[in-house]
Amino acid sequence: MLRSISVPPIFKFILRRMMGMLPILALVLVVTFLAAHALPGDPVQVMLSDHSANLQMALRLRAQYGLDQPLWRQFIAYAVGVLHGDFGLSFLQVGVPVTEVLREAVTISPLLALAALALALPLGTLAGVLAAVRRNTWVDHTIIVVLVAGLSIPNFAIATFLVYSFALKLEILPVAGWGSLEQAVLPVVVLAIPSAAYIARLARTFMLEALQQDYIRTARAKGLRERLVIGRHALRNIAVPLMTSAGVIFGGLVSNAFVVETIFNIPGLGRIAIDSIFARDYPVTMAIVVLFTVFFLFINLAVDFACVMIDPRLRARTLAS
Amino acid sequence: MGEYWHSAAILALGLGILSAPGMLPAHALRVNVEADPATMDSIASSDKVANVILKNVYEGFTGERGDGTIVPALATSWDVLSQGKAIRFHLRTGVLFHSGRAFTAKDVKYTFETLLAPESRSGVTAEYLDDVVGAADVRSGKTKELEGVRIIDDHTVEIRFTKPDVLFPIYPIQFMDSGIVAELGPDWMSKASAGTGAFKFKRWRRGEEVDLEANQSYWGGAPKIDGVRFLIVPNLDTALSQYDAGELDVLDVQEAIFRRVLRDARYADQIQKTPRAQSRYLGMNQNLYAPFKDIRVRQAISLSIDRDALIRGLYDGAAYPLNGVITPGIEGFNPDLPALKYDPEKARKLLAQAGYPGGKGMPPIDISCTPPYKDEITYYASQFHRVLGMHVTVNVVERTTFIREMNIGKVAFFPWGWTAGYPDALSYLLEMWYGRSPYNRSQWRNARYDAVIDEAQATVDSRQRFALYHTAEKILMDDWVTAPLPMTAIIGLRKPNVKNVRLTPFGFEPFKDVEIH
Repeated sequence: MLRSISVPPIFKFILRRMMGMLPILALVLVVTFLAAHALPGDPVQVMLSDHSANLQMALRLRAQYGLDQPLWRQFIAYAVGVLHGDFGLSFLQVGVPVTEVLREAVTISPLLALAALALALPLGTLAGVLAAVRRNTWVDHTIIVVLVAGLSIPNFAIATFLVYSFALKLEILPVAGWGSLEQAVLPVVVLAIPSAAYIARLARTFMLEALQQDYIRTARAKGLRERLVIGRHALRNIAVPLMTSAGVIFGGLVSNAFVVETIFNIPGLGRIAIDSIFARDYPVTMAIVVLFTVFFLFINLAVDFACVMIDPRLRARTLAS
Repeated sequence: MGEYWHSAAILALGLGILSAPGMLPAHALRVNVEADPATMDSIASSDKVANVILKNVYEGFTGERGDGTIVPALATSWDVLSQGKAIRFHLRTGVLFHSGRAFTAKDVKYTFETLLAPESRSGVTAEYLDDVVGAADVRSGKTKELEGVRIIDDHTVEIRFTKPDVLFPIYPIQFMDSGIVAELGPDWMSKASAGTGAFKFKRWRRGEEVDLEANQSYWGGAPKIDGVRFLIVPNLDTALSQYDAGELDVLDVQEAIFRRVLRDARYADQIQKTPRAQSRYLGMNQNLYAPFKDIRVRQAISLSIDRDALIRGLYDGAAYPLNGVITPGIEGFNPDLPALKYDPEKARKLLAQAGYPGGKGMPPIDISCTPPYKDEITYYASQFHRVLGMHVTVNVVERTTFIREMNIGKVAFFPWGWTAGYPDALSYLLEMWYGRSPYNRSQWRNARYDAVIDEAQATVDSRQRFALYHTAEKILMDDWVTAPLPMTAIIGLRKPNVKNVRLTPFGFEPFKDVEIH
């Protein structure tokens, strides 16, 4: 079928990658389901706490949540539900669908991460490139010290310091919350700092490597201005390795987001994930794990796609097969 | 790369405009809560946060003041008939629901029937109706009509019970508008408010806040503030910072930040402190550990706890001594109980008399608890070893597992507590120590105690009833059934310009009298 219709090879590439995601997704569903059911703690005790001694209420809740069914049947119901976008009911907010609990948070966390990335990427790349170009000068050394500080100081320490200075002492920014532009400043900055530091370090390393290459020497020999040598030739060549690290960078962003959301009281997926773990609200935790897995799979796909589009050598190799 | 920042900024700005503060009450009281409520439905709610919010929106027959006295709310008076097996309520006239409809007897019947109906998924409040005639039939779905409720006229309703229940007027049953489901459908909760209280439910932004606005036609007089905003802040340090920065007017100080608040001189004149209405005790299950059967062993254990040191050290002063099982601020509290003194000498002597000198011959035992109390049981374990020579192992168990093990009666030695459901000592005496109560975690049985409780439930005269409570408490204490543990404090902070915020053993009183200057 695919051979008779002339499908551009790039779509075949995307389709093939998406088919490859399905087994991973299935595995994630099984693993999260089993993990949640292997954990100590009965959902009924979560919902009723001390009042779970009241047998009538306990039985009623058990039936409402389908917990009296055999395990395999519960899994089928769960898997079918997920495919329809139904992640079941929350244990903590009794009777409330998980999708309802996550509805607003799903828009907030990606926005936060994107804003942080939008700040971290240009900042980090600039710092890294500058350090590489001015290697072993005071510029390079200063930048490296700042980098190491940004990577080593825990983000909650940075956050506390910034909140203390800007919100409590200077009173120009609010302490916490989400919704206005001023409330977004501190969380985005705190989230961006470790990522920017990491990107800067990578950029510096890649840049140093790129500057050793023959084509750089050729470009200089041709008489090209240094700015063009760096800006056009070297930079483009570090774009692909930087993007390949995008998965790691995003992973770091997500785990940092959990802490930032807690400190700044942002009702995003990170905070809900942490709260649900402590509250033993497993359906919510499971749903977030599944969501993040899907999210990461798509990030990787997007990165691979971007790399293939940017680098002609990769494009030729990938699409030929 | 610059475009991304622009788009992000525009998106954030858009979000900001959508949730503009202009839509919120201007002079509203801002309080923190630690999580989203599980639900805003007074029928289904069982959790602490929902309670805090709903008691500003809904009312019952009575309310209580900070010192424990009961005041009439939606019932101005009641007559107890048939030795407590029936009560006739005279309802307050001129009360309007937030919808504008009048509050009458049919709303009382409707609330009861909705609580008992199997499809309502009601919370723990429905338990209070179990003794009403016909309750079992409604629960099982056999009928929708609650037989024991008789509407005599718009403002008089008579309720009959299967056994005497003189405390029925003070149960925390919140009356809801019987016309709301007919008007707005089963999804009414997100659109309207169905109570009679000083504040109306306005909006719930999940993860952010729950907004209430003032009820201008409240029967007790319109509130002087425009509303109440319950900000959802799970992290207590963040909440404290928000209070410092003026983003909160009242702070519900939870245990995580007790020390910070108590030790900071800045807050000294803003602190409110009161003992919590939670009876804490060290449970000793006599069926699971033979030495507990001997009263001298139980007494020795209780006497080897240095409660003053515990309050000063572990709790940093944020706790109060408890000498019995009834806590202060509750009707039936006995202020004359002898103080439990730390007496290691006597404890050792008692243990020797019981046949275990220096702890010899006592099998090892685990003392179990949930993670928040691990410091406390470590203290007990070391204390019992030091003073009595007992071999006690600390066993910290995850909460839901712990509760499950308690439900099947497997836990022998444990600190636990019971928070009073209503402002009367029977809440403790009945639920914690009565033979057949499912919450009798120590599994202690005493026929004389049960008889006193049965009698108290039928005693209408308060003074006589309290005397019976004191008798019951004395039976417990004389038998050294348990070692009472210090009550934790409830602590609140309020800004100096906020007046009439009152803290009771049950938490903040409804905010109807609050003024912000």
